[in-house]
Amino acid sequence: MAWIVKNSAGATIDRREEAYLNEAMKKRLEKEVLWRYPTRQAATLPVLHEIQHEYNWIPPQAIEETAAFLGLSPAQVMDTASFYDDFFLQPKGRHLIMVCQSLSCEIMGHGRLLDALREKLDIEPGDTTRDGKFTLRVAECLGSCGTAPCALFNETLHENLTLDNLDEILNSLE
Amino acid sequence: MPLEEPILCKRIPTHPWGDPVDRKYVDYDRYVATGGYAAMDKAIAMPPAEVIDVVKAAELRGRGGAGFPAGMKWSFLPPDDGGRRYLAVNADESEPGTFKDRLLIDFDPHLLLEGCAICMHACRLDTAYIYIRGEYHAQAKALQRAVDEAYAHGVFGEGSKLGQINGRWPECHIHRGAGAYICGEETGLLESLEGKRGWPRIKPPFPAVAGAFGRPTIINNVETLAMVGPILDRGPEWFKSMGKGRPDGTPPQVPASFGPKLYGVSGHVNRPGVYEDELGVKLSYVIEELCQGMRGGKRFKGAIPGGISMGVLGPDEYHAELDFDIGKKHNCLGLGTAGVIVFDEDTDMVAVARNIARFFSRESCGQCTPCREGTSWMYKILCRIEEGGGRSRDLDMLLELAGSMGAMPGTTICGLADGANWAVRTIVNKFREEFESRVTREKYVALPVMG
Ligand SMILES: Cc1cc2nc3c(=O)[nH]c(=O)nc-3n(C[C@H](O)[C@H](O)[C@H](O)COP(=O)(O)O)c2cc1C
Ligand code: SF4
Ligand code: FES
Repeated sequence: MAWIVKNSAGATIDRREEAYLNEAMKKRLEKEVLWRYPTRQAATLPVLHEIQHEYNWIPPQAIEETAAFLGLSPAQVMDTASFYDDFFLQPKGRHLIMVCQSLSCEIMGHGRLLDALREKLDIEPGDTTRDGKFTLRVAECLGSCGTAPCALFNETLHENLTLDNLDEILNSLE
Repeated sequence: MPLEEPILCKRIPTHPWGDPVDRKYVDYDRYVATGGYAAMDKAIAMPPAEVIDVVKAAELRGRGGAGFPAGMKWSFLPPDDGGRRYLAVNADESEPGTFKDRLLIDFDPHLLLEGCAICMHACRLDTAYIYIRGEYHAQAKALQRAVDEAYAHGVFGEGSKLGQINGRWPECHIHRGAGAYICGEETGLLESLEGKRGWPRIKPPFPAVAGAFGRPTIINNVETLAMVGPILDRGPEWFKSMGKGRPDGTPPQVPASFGPKLYGVSGHVNRPGVYEDELGVKLSYVIEELCQGMRGGKRFKGAIPGGISMGVLGPDEYHAELDFDIGKKHNCLGLGTAGVIVFDEDTDMVAVARNIARFFSRESCGQCTPCREGTSWMYKILCRIEEGGGRSRDLDMLLELAGSMGAMPGTTICGLADGANWAVRTIVNKFREEFESRVTREKYVALPVMG
């Protein structure tokens, strides 16, 4: 529900000396990404993807840095970033598991998978394990309905999931 | 009638012509060796307006959900004024039940790129953005590889075979989304491309007049563009020899259902997957022939014809013909993406409706009150019914809520609400008895409505 906005007016921002969006990243983005678009704002999604790729989430300070880099206000970048489910504005685990809960996956038994994951990781969807290893999420249709049920483990899609191959996948993740 | 030869799947092994285990990425060299980019060369030698005429004559209709005639869309562009004009390729594919564009991107992305190049030549578009959903990680990589190959071989970039368009060398870029279904709606997509939240725009103006960055923009689905090369190659008459024509007596302005189509079938069948066949094949044929029957020999209970937005077909609609007229004939919203979801006799239709309502309440962008509130209320009511706490008036309330929201009743900006409307309404109506059996009957006195 992208339209639910949290009141962040009183929130304090953890800051660090070193920039998240550092000079090397900016140079690369300038060279490889910005020229593709007629406006700098259009690079918002690619820049946020880059930051999340580098740091595993998007810290508030990085939102400010993105705004400065693209000539926008932090509010504009925040407005965009908070709309999209894939951008994490809170730290997440080292591994992200996204279990598809849409129709084809539900009728093909996604519930058993999700229950097994809940139990094994001892967390509810939306949460991160205490050791910071896994974040569990439910996702909507991942475009793999013919091989349901399915889930994304980080950037890798696993199809035709069963309780057996679930264990294997979990064990393969460091 | 089954298709004689694979067209979109020419290089992608698919039953009955090939085995999906043999699928692999088709690179530029193999694409060209099997006749690829010949249609582009042919198109470049033609005046742009003539290319549009060919697509128009073929009556190619959009494969992204709405079925709008592509050639007609292309001719809505204003005359070029030397400024920039864009192609936005809709590779957001997020409609539950839909996984056909992914097949083309994974294995034969040059078919899409060739279609883009032809469209850019025909419509005088200098820059293409392929908007691909964020969860398609492997697909974005395959596509990037193909785009790089296309640049290296003079399809795009400086010195492109297309020549300069609007005073610029044609470019093609990939733009990754970040997990929002609404960015598949064409103007939500444009907002997202501009770096904003994916809030659909009020139309008009239509994108062809003022689209990306305020400039004329054509938006087409992956499969639609992939179809353009084969049409240029073999001509409109060949294309129209497949699929279904207009019913007798229909005026020629009414678009028909010509050509082949990708059907992505999931759910309770023996062999789910993406199949290519003519438009207008029967659902029963798709299930029995293409998918080798119902799983475990169970009985057919219902199916969704093309992504959950389209509503449902009931047990007596097993032989429905899957073409663009299905909406009128079978009281559903339409063919949609032809992502077919099949239900067997054990399927709980209340759970199906609840799942769908949850999807829409989660993905509503929140701009329009009927959609934002209506989808979550429908979800809450359906949860209540599923858990056994429903009352019979809940069913009427559901139908009233559903029927009042959507761009078609004129209360919302985009079609997401219509999808929710049709899905919930048709499931409750076509499986009314099942819903009735799940709620407690009660007598109630209607109170006068205030307001
Ligand atoms: C809520 C919503 C979601 C949509 N999602 C997609 C999508 O993921 N992919 C797509 O091609 N079209 C999608 N569409 C349809 C597009 O708005 C548009 O009609 C289509 O991309 C046009 O291309 P076509 O004419 O080639 O089909 C969606 C429409 C709505 C209302
Ligand atoms: S209909 Fe729903 S999804 Fe579409 S613009 Fe309105 S609130 Fe957003
Ligand atoms: S419904 Fe799960 S991948 Fe489509």
